Amino acid sequence: MKKVISYIALIVLGFCFLLPFLIMILGSFKDVQFAQLDPLFWIPDHPTMKNYLYIMRDGMFIRWIFNSVVITVIPVASQMIFCAVLGYIFAKKQFPGRETVFWIFMAVIMIPQQLLIIPKFIMFSNFGWINTYWALIVPELWGIMGVFLVRQFLQNIPNDLEEAAYIDGANDIQIFFKVILPLSVPVVATVGTFSFISNWNDLFQPLIYLTQEKMFPVTLGLASMLGKEGNFGIEMAGSTVSFIPTFLIFLFFQRYFTEGIQMSGLK
Amino acid sequence: MTSKKSKLPLRERVKREWNRNAIVYIFLIPVLGHFIIFQIYPFLLSFYLTFMDWKVIGDPEFVGLKHWKYFLSDTLAWKAIWNTVKFSVYYIVPTMALGLILALIINSGVKSARFFKGVFFLPVVTSFVIIAGIWGWLFRGTEAGMINYLLSFVGIEPQLFLANSSQALAVLAGLSIFKVAGSTMIYYFAGLQSIDRQLYEAAQIDGASAFKIFWTITFPLLKPIHFYVAITTTIGSFQIFDSAYLLTGGGPNYATTTIVYYLYEQGFTSLNLSYAAVLSYVLFFIILVISLIQRKYLGQESNNY
Repeated sequence: MKKVISYIALIVLGFCFLLPFLIMILGSFKDVQFAQLDPLFWIPDHPTMKNYLYIMRDGMFIRWIFNSVVITVIPVASQMIFCAVLGYIFAKKQFPGRETVFWIFMAVIMIPQQLLIIPKFIMFSNFGWINTYWALIVPELWGIMGVFLVRQFLQNIPNDLEEAAYIDGANDIQIFFKVILPLSVPVVATVGTFSFISNWNDLFQPLIYLTQEKMFPVTLGLASMLGKEGNFGIEMAGSTVSFIPTFLIFLFFQRYFTEGIQMSGLK
Repeated sequence: MTSKKSKLPLRERVKREWNRNAIVYIFLIPVLGHFIIFQIYPFLLSFYLTFMDWKVIGDPEFVGLKHWKYFLSDTLAWKAIWNTVKFSVYYIVPTMALGLILALIINSGVKSARFFKGVFFLPVVTSFVIIAGIWGWLFRGTEAGMINYLLSFVGIEPQLFLANSSQALAVLAGLSIFKVAGSTMIYYFAGLQSIDRQLYEAAQIDGASAFKIFWTITFPLLKPIHFYVAITTTIGSFQIFDSAYLLTGGGPNYATTTIVYYLYEQGFTSLNLSYAAVLSYVLFFIILVISLIQRKYLGQESNNY
């Protein structure tokens, strides 16, 4: 009896959670004005590729995707490297000021990013970074949360391995690459997946630092489409295309998302 | 160890320290520089700005507490705070309840639990822009809107939703609940898995009903998780912006002007950067208070570090 209730709930809730994505995908094959759209979206009367062809036509959408790739891939790679090394440093190395620096890092996590956006806007205006990739890449090159995750992970790993390598005459950098890094693959992958999602999906920072349409990432481009296209199908085609990278990352790295959420919260 | 080293000549000591900690100096110094430039300096600059008149063009001018005083009398700012509190009320308990329900189902030994975990988690990784696009269509305030269409079956008149000032905020909260429940589920799922099976077995032997087991064992044992989720969800709700920007533009009649939306509008539409800095500090203080409450009640064990 309990099982039956569980399965019914699972199917009903599962359907509710998938419904918006079904609407998006099926909607992207419909050629219809927003106002005329039938509430029974899922009957695909005349599927068409028109919407996809439309968004690809002027090249702007492709440019947005390209911008998103640039402002995502560089920070993800850099975050993985820097968070791995710094996590290692704070977990395993002894150096003066280690605890103080880490304590300051952790205190800064409490500052909401919205507080930094105004001074950063002023700074970036002075740097000439408005409407450039710099404003979205440079501040994201490493992250406190990622350092924290790697540190937590490495603290649970015994020191014996490292010590054995030291005795064998390996230096710091060799130990990091040969001992620590291979062990940290799961946590570094977690940092990478989180960084990917937050950069790819970010709307707030691009909205502040970018005003030229050709510099927009796909989030901001889609937001501008939501405002001006009256065509539901075109919007949904854009949403579907921008969703594909997220979905693929999610599909392959699902485990790391859930592990990361658990690690960052409760331990 | 240290005393032995100090007898060595300086050059040798530096060399040893470098061999031992080269990686620290190579990586930590640039990162600290970055940290000061992009975190500490803006934090301080923002505070400085609250005492200045900073119009994008021209030199900043010291105005003392002018912007802070204006904040105290700014009814729209207080409305934004009130809207955000209301949003939290709509959002926090349903998110927790839905997260817990999803976790309970996943944890009940059903088949393909992993697949459904993925399904429930999917909105968490999807951008607000995509979900808002679909949500805007579902909650269209016409008879052809999907939700209105469904409501017509139970005899409810078409609602305006996003165009109705008493409904818009709740619709936005619904979007956030849908988006976030999956991560709440993960916390609860971890919590459920850590509960000792023997407790359940003992209760079953005593003949307790499933409902009673839930209320006397499961629910109370999840207390640290309830608290943690409540705090993080509250902090998240005070930072809500994307959905208001995408779907309502703060309206109708300022009903969905949240703190961050108002901050954005003041700073980047009206270009009152100094006043926006004041608002950002108000947000900071609210979040700080919530975080301190978390510290006080959760102690070190479930803290962030």
